[in-house]
Parts: sequence; structure tokens; C-alpha cells
Amino acid sequence: MLKNLLRVLFVIFAVVLVFSFKSGDVPRYSKYLKEEQVNIAELPVEDVLINLGEKPPLHYISKLDKDSARMGEEMIKYGELLDGSNKRISKYFYCTDCHNLQKESPDPANDSPEAVLEYGIENKIPFLPAATFYGMYNKRHWYNGDYAKKYGDLVAPTRDTLHNAIQLCATQCSQGREMTYWEIRCVMHYYKSLEYKIGDLVFTNYEINLLSKAVTNNPSLASEIIRSRFHQINDATFGTSKIPEIEGHVPSMRNGEYIYVYGCLHCHAPEKEITNFDLSMDKLSFKFLEDKLYKYNSFSLSHITRYGTYAISGRKQYMPQYSMENMSDEQLLDLIGYIKFKAHE
Amino acid sequence: MKKLIYIIGIIVSGSTWTYSQDSLIINDSEIVGEVASKVASDNSSIVNETFASIRVINNHSIEMIPVRSLEFIVSHKFGDLAGSNGGVATWFGLDNLEDVRIAFEYGLYKNMNIGLGRSKGIGHTTQVVDGYYKYSILQQRTSKMPISLVFVSALSIPYGPASTDSTAPNSYPTFLNRFIFTNQILIARKFSDRISLQMNVGYNHRNYVDYKDQNGLFFAGISGRFRMTKSIGFLFEYIHILDRPSAITYTNHLAVGIELLTGGHAFALTFSNSTGMTENLFIPYTNRNWFEGQFRFGFSINRRFKL
Repeated sequence: MLKNLLRVLFVIFAVVLVFSFKSGDVPRYSKYLKEEQVNIAELPVEDVLINLGEKPPLHYISKLDKDSARMGEEMIKYGELLDGSNKRISKYFYCTDCHNLQKESPDPANDSPEAVLEYGIENKIPFLPAATFYGMYNKRHWYNGDYAKKYGDLVAPTRDTLHNAIQLCATQCSQGREMTYWEIRCVMHYYKSLEYKIGDLVFTNYEINLLSKAVTNNPSLASEIIRSRFHQINDATFGTSKIPEIEGHVPSMRNGEYIYVYGCLHCHAPEKEITNFDLSMDKLSFKFLEDKLYKYNSFSLSHITRYGTYAISGRKQYMPQYSMENMSDEQLLDLIGYIKFKAHE
Repeated sequence: MKKLIYIIGIIVSGSTWTYSQDSLIINDSEIVGEVASKVASDNSSIVNETFASIRVINNHSIEMIPVRSLEFIVSHKFGDLAGSNGGVATWFGLDNLEDVRIAFEYGLYKNMNIGLGRSKGIGHTTQVVDGYYKYSILQQRTSKMPISLVFVSALSIPYGPASTDSTAPNSYPTFLNRFIFTNQILIARKFSDRISLQMNVGYNHRNYVDYKDQNGLFFAGISGRFRMTKSIGFLFEYIHILDRPSAITYTNHLAVGIELLTGGHAFALTFSNSTGMTENLFIPYTNRNWFEGQFRFGFSINRRFKL
């Protein structure tokens, strides 16, 4: 009898012991440990802003779906899904012909052509005419400024809606077909995977102090400070075909070579098969470009750089122009100087 | 910065955001790598633009149509420029159209092209449908691979009415008698930015020939390109029949030309003693002589479309 009683007591004790371990509160130090494990530098900027009280943008995605992002990445890099389950978006261009996918400058608040060029040389990043997709998700306005001169009223619905901006890029910029809703959704998830993280933003000590006070007292000021550390719009200012005249400017061969190799040849190298006009590092190419420098046509370097070309019936491939935001006049002179140098080398 | 991180940590405390961006397919560095491969210092990069077009003049070059691209080609050859059939009377041959070919050629795979064309034909070989496939075996590189090597196999079928004269070479007792084949290997090297040379060896077979002639002909040729500027180049092409029967009076194909590149179009203005447009015609059936003024003006326009 006593033996059985002891057995029952032992079982009860064992059960209580097990459940007491499972149902207890998490110790306080353990909770703090969990918070510290969150990698703050990796926090998405958009989510931080929303926590500060900002209204989510129309394209806001609360949770990244990696499968969707992968499909978006395939469409951006290869123009279609690699399993062949959708039709090519464009037979003329891939997104990466004109857009980078990585950061183009160390500070998202400074994406001047000079900063982009320096960072590009350092990191061997293509020097392209369109904005990088890195941080595209965080912007609020697209196709601003002189894009209206090129695309007219088509830019109106894109200026505050990323969905429409992607569609315009697919149908006009890449001369392709309209994307379906799910395709754009996948691209949007890929954009989300490339959104700014807190660690991407560069703050001064003053801004950090200001931010520390504003977070609790004035959240709108805090979000304003965070917003000031990256660009909200995709602006464009178109130049003219006139060769710039900048007194005292000595062309940089280093810059010119980088722009030629990582800009011009990004599309015009024969193996890229993007354009019908091939260029290479041979002297004939440099001589050709030099001979046409002062013409007023698409073979003139300043003309083609600032005006680009337009898609026409029978020849849909065209060259987008470099706006002043993407290539400065000094850089254009560097490129011209390099071409002249190589033509006579 | 630590302070900022702490502040933002407070903002997000309680949430379950644990986010990391995995590499989804390809590292960004690979994209940069693609561009870097174009730099001349990359010592294993492919040598491009050995020739401007997929034909040197009339014969194939080692150049390939990119995958998913369609090339539309219109080629003409006129009458004798000089000699008894040329001169002002025929406005230097322009009044006499010897042959014209319209063709669509396509980049099926990266290393394989196919083509289908139709030409007027020459002599007794008229109304010719032709097709070919071309396979790139080797591609010249800046190191380790000094040449490009391509194999081309072409078939022509003249579907014009058969002659009622049973001794004529176009009497064609059976349909298979109409077939003409050419298989050749092209070996090319771009020696510099300006100079490219190509050699070709091959075998031409006509299923039905004149009684003095022979069905199979081995041939070898040489062709080249000299670029004067980026958009203008000089071309030549010669093909020698190695085992022509002595009773036959046919000659060898020799052509020279000027290429004009406009970015999108490739024009070639040519002069040749041959009258046929495809290798199945100009290799076995050339019978005109340059020294008797029996050469003609021709041109081709190539336009490439992406599909």
C-alpha cells in the first residue's frame, strides 16, 4: 500500500516538476537578451518610419516573401522566370541594362554623380543612366522632373505610385509588354529585399542627438530626420547636346576610362548584344567617336549622352540619356578627354 | 551611432522583426563581374567582330546571329559590268538582274544558326529554295584559343520546271536529283582591330550534273576583311575548286567588296565574277571571267530584329 502511494506521489511530483519548468515566466534577463539579438542595423527603414507614426506607402509590404522576391529577381535580371513559366517582359532590354541592384554611393543622401563615380570606381559598379533599385522601395515619387519631357502625360500616374512606375518602365523604358499584377507583386517583393536598412543611413552626431530627443517627444521630427538621410524622389534634369565648357577643367583620364568601360561598354560591348552599335577598346572605336564629336546626330558623344535616342517602329532598342543627376558636365568632359586621348595614343 | 541604434531598438522593442536579406539567386558581385570581363585586361575574353556580318561577301563568315535574333537579308547581283554584255548598253549590268535572294536567318541557339532563303537562281538552276545550319565549334579568345572554327551545312533545291531534254543537267528524273549540298569548315582569325582572315575547306555535291561534270567537288578558299575605319571596310573572297574535271570550263569565284556599317544595318557593295548568291550555286556554277569584264555589281542589306 505504502509502496503504491509512494509510486503515485512520485508520478505527481514528476509531472509537477515538468510542468513547473514549462509554464514559468521568461526571466527578465532572457527578455533583454532577445531584444539585443535584433540586429538594429538591419532594420528596414520603412518599418521604423511606420513605427514612428508615418502612414505606410501604397506599395508597403509587411512581410517579405522570399519566393516572390526570388521570382522578382529573376524577372529583373533575366526578363523572365527561369522555369519559363511566363513570357519575356521585353525582348530588347533587361532591367539591369540600365539599373544597378546595389548601393551606388556610401551615403544615400548624397547620390551626386561625383559620389556615385567615386564609389563605382572603388567597387567596380556599372555607371548607368537610371537609378539603382537599391532603396527604390523607400522612395515616394518616381519619374520626376524632366522625365515628363520624354514620356509626357504617362509619368503622371507614376509619380506617387511605384506599381505604376514599374509598369511604365516595362512598357516604355524597356519597350516590353504590360506586367501582370502578380509579376509586379514579385518585383515589389524583390525591391523590398533591396530596401534601405537603418545601417545604410549616415547620420551626423548632431542628428543622432536630435533624433534621440525627438523619438520620444516628437516622432514626426524623428521621421523627418530619418527621411532626410535618403532621397525621396527620382529626379531628372536633361542637358543639351552642346559640349560643356568649364573653365580650368582638366579632364580626368581615370574618370573617363571608368565611364567608358563601366558606362558605355556596359551596353555597347559586342558580347552584350543589347545594341546594334558596338564599341570596344580598339582604336577604331575611339577614332570614330572622336571624328563625330562635333556632329549634331546620334553618333556625337555629347548629343547621344544628353538626348539619348527614342524607340521607333522597326528599331525599338534605344539609348536612354544620362541626366545631369547621373552624369555631370565635368564627367562628360572627362569621357570626351579620355576618348580623344585613346584615339591618338 | 550606438545611441541611435539604442533609440531605435526601443522603438521596435516588443516587435518580432528579425530580418535578414539572403542572397536570392546571384550575388551582386557577379553582375559587376560581367562588366569587368569586358575590360581588355581580361586575358581570356572572347574576340568579337572578326567580321561585321554573317557573310564575308557571298560565303558564310564565322560570325553568328545572336540567339533569338532574326536577320532579314536581301541580296542582288546584276549583269556583267563590262565586256560584251556590259557597258553603257546595259548601264553597266544594272539592266540585267542575274540573281536575287531574300532570306530569313535565325539564331536558334547561342552556337547555332539556321537560315531559309529563296533566290531566282542562275542558268538552268532556277527558282531555288535554300536552307542551312551553321554551328560554331570554337571561338577565338585573347589567349589560349587563336582561331574561330565554324561548320556550315547548306542545301539548295531548284524547283523550276525540269527540262524535257533528257541530256540537260536540269532534266531531273527524280525529285532527289534536284538537291545540291555544300558542307564546309570555316577557320578564321582576327589578327588585329583592322585585319581578319578566314580560310574555308569543304565539299559540294550536286545530285545531278552534266555528263562531262562530276557530282562531288572539293574546294578551299580564303577571304578577309580590312577595316579602314570603324564603319568602312574592304572585303575579299576567293574559292578554288580543287578537283574540277578538265573538260569543264567553269571558273573560280572571286569577289571584292566594301562594307558600310550604320549601326543596325550592314551594307555590302560587291563585285564578283560569280552570278549565284548561295554557296550551292556560286561554287559549282561560276563560269565568268574577271579579265573579260564579266564581273558584276552586287549588294546586300542585312537587318537584324530581336524576337
